[in-house]
Amino acid sequence: MTNTLKIDALVVGGGIAGMQASLDLADQGYQVALVEKNPSVGGMMAGLSKVFPTLDCCSCITTPKMSAVAHHANISLMTYSEVQSVMGNEGDYQVRVMKKPRYVIEDECSGCRSCEMVCPLDLPDYDNEYGRGAHRVIYVPFSTAVPQKALIDIDNCIYCGKCLKACTTNAIDFAQQPEYVNIETTSIVLATGYKTTPYDAKKEYGGGRLRNVVHGMMVERLLAPTGAYGRQLRPSDGRQPDNIAYVQCAGSRDLTLGVDYCSRVCCMYAIKQAMLLAGALPMADITIYYMDIRAFGKGYEQFYENAKAMGIQFVKGKVARITEDENQNPILRVELIDQNSRVVERKHDLAVLSVGMLPGFDPNSMYGVPVDKDGFIKAPNPNISPTLTMREGIFATGTATGPMDIVDSIITAGAVAAEAAAYIQSHNGHRQLVAEQTERSVTHA
Amino acid sequence: MPEKDESQAKPREEPRIGVYVCNCGGNIGNVVACDNVARVLGKLPNVVTSHSHMFMCSDPGQNLIIDDIKEKGVNRVVIGACSLFLHEQTFRSAVERAGLNPYLYYHVGLREQVSWVHHDNPKEATDKATRMMMGGIAKARYMRPLEPVRLDAGKHALVIGGGVAGLRSALDIARRGLQVTLIEKSHYLGGHMAQWERVFPTHQKARVLLKELIERVLAEPNITIHTGAQVVRTQGYVGNFQIKIRQEPRGVHGAFPNEQEAVAVCPIKQRREFDYGLSTRKAIYRAYNGCVPESLVIDWENCTKCGECVKVAPEGMINLNEEAREFDLKVGAVVLATGFKPYEPLYGEMGWKEFPEVITLAQLHRLLDDEGPSDGKFYWNGHPVRDVAIIHCVGSRQIEGVHRPQPDGNVNNYCSRVCCTASMSMAALIRQKAPDAKVYDIYEDIRTYGRGHEDYYRNAGKEQVTFLRYFAEEIPEVMRADESADRPLLVKVKDHLTWGETIELPVDLVVLATGMMPNPVDDLIGMFKVSPGNDRFLLEVHPKLRPVETAVNGIVLAGTAQGPMNIQESCAAAGAAASKVAALLIQGEVELEPFVAVVDPERCNGSGKCIEHCPQEEALTLETFTENGRTFQRAVVTPANCNGCGVCAGVCPNRAIDVAGWRLDEFEAMVEAITDEIPAMEGAI
Amino acid sequence: MTITDKEAAQKRTAMLADLRKERREKVEHAQSLLKGQQAVRKTLSRVMQGEPRSIPEIAAATNLPPHEVLWHITAMKKYGEVVEDGMDEDFAFYLYRLAKEPIHE
Ligand SMILES: Cc1cc2nc3c(=O)[nH]c(=O)nc-3n(C[C@H](O)[C@H](O)[C@H](O)COP(=O)(O)OP(=O)(O)OC[C@H]3O[C@@H](n4cnc5c(N)ncnc54)[C@H](O)[C@@H]3O)c2cc1C
Ligand SMILES: Cc1cc2nc3c(=O)[nH]c(=O)nc-3n(C[C@H](O)[C@H](O)[C@H](O)COP(=O)(O)OP(=O)(O)OC[C@H]3O[C@@H](n4cnc5c(N)ncnc54)[C@H](O)[C@@H]3O)c2cc1C
Repeated sequence: MTNTLKIDALVVGGGIAGMQASLDLADQGYQVALVEKNPSVGGMMAGLSKVFPTLDCCSCITTPKMSAVAHHANISLMTYSEVQSVMGNEGDYQVRVMKKPRYVIEDECSGCRSCEMVCPLDLPDYDNEYGRGAHRVIYVPFSTAVPQKALIDIDNCIYCGKCLKACTTNAIDFAQQPEYVNIETTSIVLATGYKTTPYDAKKEYGGGRLRNVVHGMMVERLLAPTGAYGRQLRPSDGRQPDNIAYVQCAGSRDLTLGVDYCSRVCCMYAIKQAMLLAGALPMADITIYYMDIRAFGKGYEQFYENAKAMGIQFVKGKVARITEDENQNPILRVELIDQNSRVVERKHDLAVLSVGMLPGFDPNSMYGVPVDKDGFIKAPNPNISPTLTMREGIFATGTATGPMDIVDSIITAGAVAAEAAAYIQSHNGHRQLVAEQTERSVTHA
Repeated sequence: MPEKDESQAKPREEPRIGVYVCNCGGNIGNVVACDNVARVLGKLPNVVTSHSHMFMCSDPGQNLIIDDIKEKGVNRVVIGACSLFLHEQTFRSAVERAGLNPYLYYHVGLREQVSWVHHDNPKEATDKATRMMMGGIAKARYMRPLEPVRLDAGKHALVIGGGVAGLRSALDIARRGLQVTLIEKSHYLGGHMAQWERVFPTHQKARVLLKELIERVLAEPNITIHTGAQVVRTQGYVGNFQIKIRQEPRGVHGAFPNEQEAVAVCPIKQRREFDYGLSTRKAIYRAYNGCVPESLVIDWENCTKCGECVKVAPEGMINLNEEAREFDLKVGAVVLATGFKPYEPLYGEMGWKEFPEVITLAQLHRLLDDEGPSDGKFYWNGHPVRDVAIIHCVGSRQIEGVHRPQPDGNVNNYCSRVCCTASMSMAALIRQKAPDAKVYDIYEDIRTYGRGHEDYYRNAGKEQVTFLRYFAEEIPEVMRADESADRPLLVKVKDHLTWGETIELPVDLVVLATGMMPNPVDDLIGMFKVSPGNDRFLLEVHPKLRPVETAVNGIVLAGTAQGPMNIQESCAAAGAAASKVAALLIQGEVELEPFVAVVDPERCNGSGKCIEHCPQEEALTLETFTENGRTFQRAVVTPANCNGCGVCAGVCPNRAIDVAGWRLDEFEAMVEAITDEIPAMEGAI
Repeated sequence: MTITDKEAAQKRTAMLADLRKERREKVEHAQSLLKGQQAVRKTLSRVMQGEPRSIPEIAAATNLPPHEVLWHITAMKKYGEVVEDGMDEDFAFYLYRLAKEPIHE
């Protein structure tokens, strides 16, 4: 089955940047389609606990936006969908989108999760809990997912039929096939986001090998009220940690990994997590090993000062290696930059790698949009027009254009909406409301 | 228009109230026993259903409300959650989607008003939450459907400030088909960007980039620009601001061939602001060559009107008797893009003003500029500069009690965000211009955070810049070197890259990487009733939810008026501001809250008391009516001008005027309910 | 059950059988996962009959690695089969026990 959709803007990627860009375009009266490859919108932000610098609960910021994109009259939301091909010319793109089969009919599913409750097999939840939690073979991705619809991990299904019986709306369809939607659009906004640097990339740090070496996103899940443990536990044995180390620049500013840039958020999220952990585990010692603390944003320096005042230890040092003792306590070998590079060993019971950001997607082959040497989308005029790409009619926003935090992602989403709107306006022959032109004058009085 | 009211006291349908208590992911739930609160409230009369939920604002949470409205016939909604600033709109739209009037929902703040402030006393907090919710439920019994006030909006925006942010937002708004007026206080466009030699992260010539932007702005038919212009008065509200602009005369009109001569004959010599005093100018001058508008301008403050320039200029070119002019604008929205000013160090702060060899980073930019006062040669006092120390965080990341406060008592405890990369970029430029120079970089943390910024840091290392690290508590000292020394200054630093040793650096020049301060805009703050934050930059409503909007509807922020930003960030913010303006004005209509005064025609006897006490201009008038042959006077509300303060309701002798959505009967019911007995519950904690 | 319901049920059973046949390899793999899980859960349920216990205690009693126990307990907690019940004396570990009646969210 194939449908055709005529729109003004196609937004690819439903993280905070893509959602905000969609809303800002739709609020101006433009028709938008938002395509997200995952079963829910929200992106990385949906997995965070509380967010710096305001310490708002992250869900309070993101879930309403998730809901808004699903309900906005001018937005067609396509989750669990991927762009298959992009054809046509500047200002007139033909895009083919595949909706992957959920094996659950979206319009029928009420999200009641009766199916999930009767499904017999638990699988590690890699997508949302980094393997620390579980979901069933048929499942709703997470409690605040939008849409709140089940899907089946078909490769792990034994076809026992329990879900079929439990479903009250006959929504399950094992024979479901991919559906295709043809989209004709004036503009495209790439908001394909980031992924974190793999925490096992730097072998010396033991990520993936040492059980109590975790990464920043895992700690977000430890701190989130909806996280798998619902507690702050270390993965090896479920103990509450009481001596936690943060290793900054684990996968950023590191030429050996080919990531020579700063990932911009890790200082702040480490400080944030340290404060939240200190709140949840008042007895715990927390040390942050860093090269430079980059608390540059509005209100960020004060946030850093608050953390110091709370007793979080900041040690200027480069962690060279992490090993573990017989109780699986990580032992950090640290070069203390502040002390003429003296090398010491420090024992902790949980080590967090402050992993950085890598581009989430390379749009070159599909969209003809090249990336820069850092792998993020190349900007022809980064100072004045930060959301342009090398291809006319295609724009980029959020972390697809380089590491940034939520505030900056939201700002660039507003900017991309302005840039795309102006493009659509000129392309669609001022078919929208055009203000009467008045005589232009630069007055010098 | 708000509904005409027939029955002041009685709601007209049986209230069926849905009650929802949000845990806010633990923000509320970890203190307030939300499940219990919901259960207790479920027992109150008219409450049809009562829930507690992890995240009411999430889609599942909203669907709960929608389902209850559709399936359980709920016709009043009371939600206890975070602050209504955050999610009132979210819940209103959910209620509306279910087919209910969005004003039949009331929001109780259980986070800011309860859980956050009483986190040390969960029991009392739970009690307070319950009572506040009881108040909300009592109000809900009296709530009536309301309609927002809809008004025509001018499809015209005013941008204040012609720096890169103002230019960029003007362009984005105009490209959307709206009219834009841009006013700039100085006599040229571009703001600070025009002063920089090269800009990171592209290492492009700043004025080349700027020129491209200005040309695009000039080519845009929807934009009108006034330089030398400032706002002097404002009135009105979103969609309909009336603004009076005052434009200082330029005195010179257009270019003429012997301009140089006209300048040369001027007897007045002044410090050239554009070069931060590194050069001088006349009282007839041009900010810099190539500026827009490009004609010369008279410095009225210092011009003695001697007329020498007039004599040499072609007839009519220069008018020293030109008057300022004032004119009115009607606009739907305003963008504040008033920018920043560099921090001015205090006398003696790291040698500032005490030693002439101490300059700021902004001055260094001018010094290294090919078109600057020394034609880009790295000379100071006529001698080539050899060794330089750059000191970071001057006027940024200050600590109370450690740093000397400014005259107004403030210290700048924020990071200025651009100085690190700007310093790295300049350090490398120095090494290019003076390959033998030693450059010392004295920092706290190097914050080259942005895309491409780290390259500048690495490059500085490659250029053999020497780094030293100080702690804020131990500010480096700059002093005069011995007569015999061959470097005039000595910088003393306790360096934490080498065991905290104190190191003395003999240098020719000290560069203070001064941070950013907001441009002083107290007048605009007063006129538009926007607020500055603790850092004195203009304050947004919420850094994530509404990052470029102010608390005043229709007034948005762009660029460094809001906080330190680089050019890229200023332009992104400007685009975001333009998006908000476009969304607001493109329909030609704005909606205002319906919480405005309403007059009960039965009771109003035209006493005029309300008008006497109304603090708003033109919100209330006394009008004469004739009905059935009887002529009488009655108060009439102009909703657009009413801010719903309720003073009128307090002074009316006949209880004939009230505020829609906040009527006296609602208040009375709330007060009574809050002090009421909490229903008993088995098993309640 | 009416006739049509019965027919539908039969049809469903046949369809599922067909699917299992068609995707034999994957189904067999999933079935082996399920068997493994059932075996672990049985052991866990056995040792968790009495007082609430910590992850290391359960691990010691079952001879399973503690991180694996933690994963299973986490899963069982999510689906209401296990509940958290207090902490150990040192406030280092949470204690878990079987839910009296599996609560469904
Ligand atoms: C551990 C950690 C903690 C953090 N904490 C904070 C914090 O406290 N405060 C803060 O401000 N920031 C924080 N951040 C940063 C924050 O996560 C990001 O700034 C933000 O999520 C970026 O949003 P985005 O929309 O650009 O990208 P993403 O969230 O990555 O969204 C991109 C979306 O696009 C989708 N997508 C990708 N490719 C395609 C494709 N080809 N087709 C369709 N869809 C596609 C993805 O599935 C995803 O949903 C943190 C980051 C980390 C790693
Ligand atoms: C030393 C230094 C070096 C820098 N180097 C770089 C760099 O290399 N790369 C980079 O990206 N960024 C750099 N920056 C930052 C950059 O200068 C700013 O991001 C940018 O100039 C901000 O633009 P703006 O429009 O917000 O403010 P401004 O440039 O300050 O413009 C504001 C404008 O508003 C006008 N105005 C003020 N008040 C009023 C009023 N009441 N009415 C009307 N008009 C008014 C002002 O006259 C001014 O023209 C540097 C900053 C400094 C201090």
